Amino acid sequence: MSSEDFRSLLPLLILAAASILLLVVIAVRRDHRLVYYLTVAALAAALAASLIPVEYSPRTASPLLVIDGFSLFYSALLNAAGLIVVVLSYTYLRPLREQMEEYYVLILLAVLGSVILAASRHFASFFLGLELLSVSLYTLVGYMVRSRDRSMEAGLKYLILAAAAAAFLLFGMALVFYEAGQLGFSGIGKYLAEAEALSLLIITGFGLIIIGIGFKLALAPFHMWAADVYEGAPAPVSALVATVSKGGVVAVLLRFYSEVDGYQFPVLALLFSIFAAASMLGGNLLALLQDNVKRILGYSSIAHLGYLIVAFLSGGAMAAGAATFYLVAYFITILVAFGVVAHLSSGEQEAEKLEDYRSLFWRRPGTAVVFTAALLSLAGIPLTAGFIGKFYIAAAGAQEGLWVLLFILAASSVIGLYYYLRIIMAMFASAKDPAQRIAPLFSGVGLLLVILTVALVWLGVFPQAMLDMINEWVAG
Amino acid sequence: MEVAFYLSALIAVAATVLAITRYHAVHALLFLIVSLLALAVVFFIMGAHFAAALEVIIYAGAIMVLFIFAIMMLNLGKATIEWERQLLRPRVWVLPALLTLVLAAELIYLLAIRGGPESSGIELVRPARVGAELFGFYILGVEMAAFLLMAGLVGAYHIGRREKKVIHRYLKKEEV
Repeated sequence: MSSEDFRSLLPLLILAAASILLLVVIAVRRDHRLVYYLTVAALAAALAASLIPVEYSPRTASPLLVIDGFSLFYSALLNAAGLIVVVLSYTYLRPLREQMEEYYVLILLAVLGSVILAASRHFASFFLGLELLSVSLYTLVGYMVRSRDRSMEAGLKYLILAAAAAAFLLFGMALVFYEAGQLGFSGIGKYLAEAEALSLLIITGFGLIIIGIGFKLALAPFHMWAADVYEGAPAPVSALVATVSKGGVVAVLLRFYSEVDGYQFPVLALLFSIFAAASMLGGNLLALLQDNVKRILGYSSIAHLGYLIVAFLSGGAMAAGAATFYLVAYFITILVAFGVVAHLSSGEQEAEKLEDYRSLFWRRPGTAVVFTAALLSLAGIPLTAGFIGKFYIAAAGAQEGLWVLLFILAASSVIGLYYYLRIIMAMFASAKDPAQRIAPLFSGVGLLLVILTVALVWLGVFPQAMLDMINEWVAG
Repeated sequence: MEVAFYLSALIAVAATVLAITRYHAVHALLFLIVSLLALAVVFFIMGAHFAAALEVIIYAGAIMVLFIFAIMMLNLGKATIEWERQLLRPRVWVLPALLTLVLAAELIYLLAIRGGPESSGIELVRPARVGAELFGFYILGVEMAAFLLMAGLVGAYHIGRREKKVIHRYLKKEEV
């Protein structure tokens, strides 16, 4: 590999080196604050490195990875999300009596796995990246083994189901390899372009791969784990599962599908349509009667990934752009939402029940306003990023005439409005004891949440800059 | 050759099913070893001799080590001795031993006919080529696998760590 190859792989190298450095530091001295600062520095450096080396792209740094505008954009997005999760984690973890240092190592490794996914063009890196992400998440989900009851249950559930999904994925890859004799995405694409008729085996292989991906994205009917894991995991880890884990998988799905030209198979399109419709309806309906805010966010994430699959399915010129923009909007929104949950949690007790949010506005007006903005964006109300994202999905879908899916999207969005508004209503309900108001504390997390909320609204009002960037980096 | 392949594949499937359906972990492990040995024979037939050797050393061997560890760690006196005696009843080991014998016979037959995979048009993959691929084409994959193991190790350390429980400063409970 040449020095340019190393230069182009810099975001990955920084994350990898930082995780080892952290282990060395932990071995010498356990210091939560030091480890935290090092993690923030590493993620910021990886973020900067993803934004800078444009002059080297596209570059096939190895047969396994390609560094182009697409992977660099996703790398920047994933590193930024990881950075925000780490900042949220620090104040959240401080009061807990656990050894906190390994948590940051695992976050770095999870982000590394996700960035590998975004850059992979080969089944080997696809699988290894996915496993690196999953294995880090198993422990992160169950990290509070000693201080919370449900933590271990959530971790174990995630472990068993993710391992089963990985088996599906691997078997699918084996079938595709058996038929095509290729493991690289472009090689498989070439084989498919030359083959006259497709065998049942290769379609089955693709189906199994899609099941593996569907599990990671928590698409219905593979959504069973989502609510339990979101509920049992610490709030910042739930944010990590919602953003970094899903972002990397969406990236690899987009790349895999465009390289093998998966749009030519009507069977797979039908499969995805069923998943999308089931996720949109199922996610929103299941969330309706929940009283736990983290579970609601979990079910809503199922629905949101369903919306994203509609954009992906449109397959036209706008598909990758619309899906990526939606992902950016969803990242910001869900990070704000889980950020508020983490912000309101205190040590042993997480603020997860709807009751904890009753008349929040009268106690902590700033937090309530920020949370309201996030929920409105999740519901897709105009002037928020979520609205523009949904608008582009509708535009991309309409261009390809996916009317049934668009109708389900619109109908399920209306259903979704109910439970988002329920939380907002609870927050603004008048307080019995108005004297409870807590003086706003200046904190780093508070500032971060305000910045994210401003980004949320800014993206909803002036989306053009982000759209131009996505068109240039991702679609170009 | 084909007969040998189907026979070992059948043993692999049957042993795996038996491994899943056993109630006792130790019995399940015995069948898992048989399944891995059968897979090793399949690899051998396919011309991947090196992978076959690794399958035996790493998978079957590692499970044996774990097995011995479990018995050593749980050595808690009379009850355990009785338990161990139960493990060695013929009913438990006869079937796995028979299956292993079949596999051994197959291997001897394969070595005896000497035709080897070359004669049936299967490409033989030698260790040198495996090494060259791993440290050439797949070098980044090897690095990724290293980080995957690291994530598993850090996770196992955190979940498995036993905390020093201090109930009162005069009643310190030392690390178990």
